[in-house]
Amino acid sequence: MAIRIKPVRVAAVLAAALLAAAGCSSPTASTSGTDNAATLVVATAGEPDTLNPVLNYGVDGASLIFDGLVARDVRNELVPALARELPTVSADGKTVTARLREGVLFHDGSPLTAPDVVFTYQAVLDPAVDSTLRSDLDMLASVTAPDPATVVFTLKYAYAPFLQRLALGIVPAKAFAGQDVNKAAFNRKPVGTGPYRVTSWTPGDRLVLAANEKYWGGEPANSGVVVAFVADDNVRAQRMRAGEFDAAELAPKLASGFESRNGYRVHKVPTADYRGVMLPMGNPVTGDLAIRTALNAAVDRQAMVTGVLGGAGEPAFGPVPPTSPYADPSVAGEPAADTAAATAVLDAAGWKPGPDGIRVKDGRPAAFTLMYPATDSLRKELALAVTADAKKVGITVTPEGLTWDAITPRMKNDALIMGYGTPYDPDFVSYKLFSSAFAGQGFFNPGSYRSAVTDAALQKGRDSADPAARKAAYATFQQQLAADVPWVFLTYLQHTYVLKDTVTGVTPRVEPHEHDVANSVWWNVHTWTKKS
Amino acid sequence: MTAPATGRRRLAGAGAVVRRRLLVAVPVLAATSMGMFALGAASPIDPAQQYAGAAAFTTSEENLAQIRANWGVDDPLPVQYARWIGNLLRGDLGWSTSRHEPVTSVLAARAGWTLLLVGTALALVLVASVLLGTLAAYRRGGWFDRALRSVAYAVQSMPVFWIGLAAIAVFALSLGWLPAGGLTDITATGTDPFDVARHLVLPVTVLAISQAPWFVLFVRDAVAESLRDDHVLAARARGLPGRVVLFGHALRTALLPFLTLVGTHLPELVGGAVLVETVFSLPGLGAVTVEAALGADFPLLAATTLATTVVVLTANLLTDLAYAAADPRVRLDD
Amino acid sequence: MTDLALPARVRRLRRTGSAGTMVAVVVLGGVVAAALLAPVLWPLDQSAVDLSRTRLAPSPEHLAGTDDLGRDVALRSLYGLRVSLLVGAVAALVAAVIGGVVGAVAGSVGGWVDRALMRVVDTVAALPHLLLGIFVVAMLRPGLGAVIASIALTHWLSTARIVRSELLSLRNRPFVDAAIAGGAGRVRVLTRHLLPHVLPRLALATTLMVPHAVWHETALSFLGLGLPPHLASIGNMINDGQRSLLTGAWWASIVPGLLLVTATLALAVLTGRWRDRLDPRVRAELQL
Repeated sequence: MAIRIKPVRVAAVLAAALLAAAGCSSPTASTSGTDNAATLVVATAGEPDTLNPVLNYGVDGASLIFDGLVARDVRNELVPALARELPTVSADGKTVTARLREGVLFHDGSPLTAPDVVFTYQAVLDPAVDSTLRSDLDMLASVTAPDPATVVFTLKYAYAPFLQRLALGIVPAKAFAGQDVNKAAFNRKPVGTGPYRVTSWTPGDRLVLAANEKYWGGEPANSGVVVAFVADDNVRAQRMRAGEFDAAELAPKLASGFESRNGYRVHKVPTADYRGVMLPMGNPVTGDLAIRTALNAAVDRQAMVTGVLGGAGEPAFGPVPPTSPYADPSVAGEPAADTAAATAVLDAAGWKPGPDGIRVKDGRPAAFTLMYPATDSLRKELALAVTADAKKVGITVTPEGLTWDAITPRMKNDALIMGYGTPYDPDFVSYKLFSSAFAGQGFFNPGSYRSAVTDAALQKGRDSADPAARKAAYATFQQQLAADVPWVFLTYLQHTYVLKDTVTGVTPRVEPHEHDVANSVWWNVHTWTKKS
Repeated sequence: MTAPATGRRRLAGAGAVVRRRLLVAVPVLAATSMGMFALGAASPIDPAQQYAGAAAFTTSEENLAQIRANWGVDDPLPVQYARWIGNLLRGDLGWSTSRHEPVTSVLAARAGWTLLLVGTALALVLVASVLLGTLAAYRRGGWFDRALRSVAYAVQSMPVFWIGLAAIAVFALSLGWLPAGGLTDITATGTDPFDVARHLVLPVTVLAISQAPWFVLFVRDAVAESLRDDHVLAARARGLPGRVVLFGHALRTALLPFLTLVGTHLPELVGGAVLVETVFSLPGLGAVTVEAALGADFPLLAATTLATTVVVLTANLLTDLAYAAADPRVRLDD
Repeated sequence: MTDLALPARVRRLRRTGSAGTMVAVVVLGGVVAAALLAPVLWPLDQSAVDLSRTRLAPSPEHLAGTDDLGRDVALRSLYGLRVSLLVGAVAALVAAVIGGVVGAVAGSVGGWVDRALMRVVDTVAALPHLLLGIFVVAMLRPGLGAVIASIALTHWLSTARIVRSELLSLRNRPFVDAAIAGGAGRVRVLTRHLLPHVLPRLALATTLMVPHAVWHETALSFLGLGLPPHLASIGNMINDGQRSLLTGAWWASIVPGLLLVTATLALAVLTGRWRDRLDPRVRAELQL
């Protein structure tokens, strides 16, 4: 036995020394025990690559460490955060002015000033900075600070949802003085203004956050949060069951195992995260409206929700989630499959069943390939479910699991299970996904869908400042999409979380596609408490 | 037969062996790193798209092209390789595009845990296989020998991740004796050696068990073989006790070929460690290597491959030296 | 191979040995035959899904229950074994060809060619197979061809060493000298005289490689780098079924795993007896 224990201890000490050298160990190196009652432990699969908002960390707010000029409340409506009140937009829609809240301090004690905000947005726009956010801020021409408490954004064109882009976390300019933003030490040990400051981050293991007593929004109700990164669903479920976590994101089927367990509860949180089949216009089979309409009727969305999603989802009929104020209820169809309607459409269009049951028109069999990313088991299961449903109406679908780099060049001709979605503004994803201006450009409108009505509606939606006009424009957009069926929308997901009963203060809100440290059910963890 | 003289000669021989091994190691390492880059150039993967992750769907092509230009990943292969070698000589292993941090800090934070896992498992396997293998060989054909071989064959046909999942199901979930994964208790703020040890019991044991059959069967065969060697038969004929014959003579003879083979089997052990780290969510090099391969992160891939190769070559050198030290018949400078 | 002191035990050992061999032959033959004949006996649409019959426990209708998508686990396991065996066998054959050629060239040409080739073998041997395999798959994009290439490119080393050492030891045998003295060319000596001696060893090495290749395939699939995920393969099924383990549907991953263990165990028992007749040096190279 001595042989086994000794090397462990020696090596553990060695490793601890290594960690200390790398600056990862915390100043108070005590182990479990003492004052953990008020520390919350949450577990997620998605580990951020960086903790710098400029490089894509928590860009939609709720990042725990940072605040944007604006934040979102429990209904995802904008509220002022680092801005004193919601920023004002000029009459022509091209100038946005924000006045900063007074007395806000960064975690290092330095005050927040307008140059910090200017630095943050200029860093995103700087071509030398490896930020993918630049694409989201296309409309931003410049950002200036006329005085230490005022920030002025100048836009290239009027953009109705611009304020939604101001949830981006603000970083202190002086932390980057003379440094390459891409490689700054800040990215691993950041300084923000948010409710928590970073104690340590051990990649692949955990992020340890301590309460910021001087938080401008009030001291957090707990002493800290530990975010455990456990990539594997199973392992996360097992560790939740072993009682290690207060809250964990789990796949619906795994979460359902906790519903009957004492001491746990399951939250199914609605999202704007949809999955659907992108049907390319360049393929002679999926380019036929009859095939697309028939598929749309033939898929059994209800069976997918119960069978594939374990009940954690709702049928989807368009890219605007039913929880959004812009949703048009008239596009919603039947959750169950309507095989009769599908066959009627195909018969009418001249797709006649051949001897093997597969429909044929002008010598062309009703068959196409449906690609899905091989590492995504949910999309794989949806692809297989679509395949089975299509077969019932005489359409042969061949599922093919591929890597993204193999999928990308084929998107013009082969169908693909795609998914995205954000609850914040219908313009965000849909504008690039369905405008003919973006036809065939990478992941923007890969199927080259073209409709003048859709184009006009999308443009009107982003140009108009008037909410009623926007709502009308997006209703037109949704109806046209339902008529043209460039996608067969399948389901909206619900993110499922398991929480211990001892945790109180949990108020879920509609979530976007991306949810990890930021923007999960613990978006307001600073108001949570734990009964011991 | 003067002891100091032979000792000196052997040491001088050891120096020659080290020199010769180093002469071989340099071209091997150069070839490995060059091969890595050549394969990387042929790779269809776009590192910028991997870097963007889900944001790739909202990121414009020119945005991604700018990022690729910033990294210089579209430069010709010889340019990239020369840049990498130049930085390497200055002690800079480069920037990991998949981890967003210097390669050196990835290695510093993670290599220790992988070494700890592999090292402990190897020590466990060596001790267990020598003991069990020798006992089985002594009573060759007996119930213990037969049982051990059956178990060894059975374990050999089980994938290591399957053993890992079964171990979690039994020892962590059903019995609740040991943690299911991770390196320390989740609320711990430091790395307490005992806490780490408790978390490593399952992964180390699973890795050791999955690798043990190969070692056990080899020791068993080699000891059985050497029990028929002339000098062992002679020792037995002299009436020495069975234990002395077994451990003093037969095992010593058998250990020599065993030692050389430990080195050659080390790469298998590292491969097993990748899977074990995945199953037990340990923050070692395994998971990042898979990620690096998928994200076309060549600086990190080249570094991990080189580091592993260096460890294996060092182990081979050590086994060579140990071999020479254990067997007076082997001359190192021949 | 006999222990003079204990003839009775040896006889008993031989008897149980042959019984074990019989069992292994029957098990392996049965499993492989079932896997190969599955498409004829029980035709199955690989992608057939029935969301109304998910995760049913084993019953007379579904001998091993159904999985997350309502597919029959027993049938898919057989299909999976079929795919895994096919991948394993093809990869082992490709590896044997690579290794055979390298070993034959090294062993028959000798000199600096031999030294250079053996240096390459040492280099590849110093790299962890799984990491190298991951790299190969990542470069070629996951898929059937990539998995086979990944296995073949990492498993040809032992064959190369065996063929080379066999050739080296045969070169000095009298019948080879006689053939050369009789004016036979190098190629002729190699094909007529040496290969027949080497081929049995090569065949054994290839057979032993099959389970290795199957594990390699399952490991790659487990890491999400293997065969297309909707295809029934043992690795994919264990990986898929892993999620069901916690929800109580243990059969979805245990059944395919057991089938793999049974088949490779039988193969190991069979080849193990064959292996025992060889000298220890070669045996070490042939360890599973």
